[in-house]
Amino acid sequence: MSYSTSQQTKNISIFKTLPFHLLIFAVLIVIWELTNLYGFEDQIQADMIAPRPTNIFLAMLDIFIIDKTVWKHLISTFQKALLGASIGTAIGMGLAIAATLSLTFRKYIKPWIILMEATPRIAVGPIFVALLGFGLWSAVALAALVAFFGPFVNTFQGLMEVDEEAEEMFRSLGASRFQTFWKLRFASAMELISAGWKLATASAFGGALVAEFIQASEGMGVLIAQYVIMITMDYAFAGLLSVTIFGFILFKIMDYFDYRLIFWKNDYLLLKESEKRRKKAGIV
Amino acid sequence: MVATATKAEDQSQFGQTVIEGKNVTKVFGETVTALEGANFDIRAGEFISLVGPSGCGKSTLLRLVAGLIEKTSGDVKVNDDLVTKPRTDIGMMFQKAVLLDWRTAIENVLLPSEMKHRISQEDKDKAMASLELVGLKGFEFHFPKQLSGGMQQRVALARLIQTGADIMLMDEPFGALDEFTRERLNVELMRIVGELKATTLFVTHNIQEAIYLADRVMVMTPRPGRIAEIIEVEFERPRDISIQTSREFNIIIEQVRDTLGSH
Repeated sequence: MSYSTSQQTKNISIFKTLPFHLLIFAVLIVIWELTNLYGFEDQIQADMIAPRPTNIFLAMLDIFIIDKTVWKHLISTFQKALLGASIGTAIGMGLAIAATLSLTFRKYIKPWIILMEATPRIAVGPIFVALLGFGLWSAVALAALVAFFGPFVNTFQGLMEVDEEAEEMFRSLGASRFQTFWKLRFASAMELISAGWKLATASAFGGALVAEFIQASEGMGVLIAQYVIMITMDYAFAGLLSVTIFGFILFKIMDYFDYRLIFWKNDYLLLKESEKRRKKAGIV
Repeated sequence: MVATATKAEDQSQFGQTVIEGKNVTKVFGETVTALEGANFDIRAGEFISLVGPSGCGKSTLLRLVAGLIEKTSGDVKVNDDLVTKPRTDIGMMFQKAVLLDWRTAIENVLLPSEMKHRISQEDKDKAMASLELVGLKGFEFHFPKQLSGGMQQRVALARLIQTGADIMLMDEPFGALDEFTRERLNVELMRIVGELKATTLFVTHNIQEAIYLADRVMVMTPRPGRIAEIIEVEFERPRDISIQTSREFNIIIEQVRDTLGSH
C-alpha cells in the first residue's frame, strides 16, 4: 500500500525525447481538429463529441483572461482540496501514531480500517452533502475522507518498521520512550510519511471535485458540470484541462517539497546541507 | 572479591572490580540456553575480549552486562549494583554503526548528550574533541552517507566516548569492515581506550583481534554457551602490530584454538 517516488532521475533524457513528445502531441491535435471538421455529417454533433482543439484553446483564453470565470472556481476547489488534505492527514497520522503506540488501540481500530478500506469512499459523497449542505464543508469532508488513507497507512508502516539495532542503541543510551519515538521512529518514518502527504493531496483533489459534481455552489466540478449541461463542450474540455494543469502544478510542488524535506536521499542536497550546517556552526 | 579462573596477582595493575558475573544463566524461550553458569570478574581499566563461534553466548553476555536483556538466573553487577536496566556509566558500540542518516557526524555524536539535557556549548566542544580523538577532524559536518564504513564506525566510537561512560561494551564493532580498515581501527581503539582508561568488553569471532587487543581473553563455546577458558595476554602496552607474528602470540592462538576445538 505504501508509495514512494524516485525523483530527479531522468532530467537529462527528457531533453532528448521532448521533441518527439511534442510531435506526437501535435499530430494528435491535428487529427482531432480534422476529425471535427470532416469526420461528422452534422457540425453540432461534431462539436459535442469532439470539440475542436482551437475552440478549446479559445475557451481557455476566455475563462482565464477575458471573462476570468475560472479563477474563483479553481480557488474554491483548491481550498477544499487543501483543507481536506490537511484534515485527512491530521486524522490519518493521529490514528496511525496511536495505533503504533498502543497495541490495544491497534487491535480495536483494525476492523474499522478494513471496513473503511472496503467502502468506496466516493460513495459517501451524497451522504456528506445531505449532512453538511452544498457549501464548502461537505466537499472538505469528502476530500478529507479520501485523503485520510494514504497518510494513515504510510505513517503506520513507517513507524512500525524500526531498525532494531538503532532501537537497541537508543535503549543503551537510556533514551525515554518519547525521545525514541521522535528522534528515531518518527524521523526514520519521515520518508514514508512525506510520500503519504503527496498521496493525500492527490486524492483530496479528486475527492473535492467529486463532491462538487454531486452538489455544490462553486468549484471546478460545478463549472465543468454547468458547461456540460449547457452543451458547450469546448468550455467543458477547457475546464478539464485547467484541472489537469493546476493539479499537475500542485503535485509538482508536493514533489519538490518532498525532495527537499528528505534531503539525505540525494547526494547533491546532502552536500549542500552539509555546507550549510558547517557555516551555521561558524566553522568554514 | 570473588575468585575466578584467573590469579588475583595478575590483575594488580588494574583497579577494583567493576563488572562481576556470578553463575549467570540466560535461557531464551523455554529451551534455548544462550549462556550457562558464567562467572567473571572484570577490573577497572581492563580490556577483555570475548571470543567464540556464533551461538556461544558472547553477545548475550554483553547484553546482560548492558542491561538490555534480563538474566534468567545468577547475578550481574556493575560497580556493585545489580544490573536491571541500561546504565549511564556504560556505553555501547554495535556491528553496524547505527547512525542517523539525517544528522551530521557531530549531531550523531551529540545524541547521548541530548538524551540527558539541552545541548550546551560544552557538549558541542566535547563532541568536536571526541571526533578529533577518533581521527575525524574536518568531517564533523559530513553526513553518514558521505562517509566510508570505517569512518562511520569511528563516528559510532566518538558517540560512545561522548556518553562519558568509563565502561565500553563493543559487539563486533569492526566485524563488517575490510581487513585493512579493521587492523587500523584496532590500533586506534587501543590508543583511545588507553587514553580514556576505560574498561572494555569486546566481542569478536576473530581470534587474532581478540588476543591483540586484550588483557584477558574469555574463550566461549556454544550449546550451551559457556565461558570455557580465560587466558592472560601479557604483552606490554602500547603494543605494536608486529607482535601478532611473534612466537608467544601464536602460542596463545593455539591455546584458544585448542579450547574451541575440544568442544
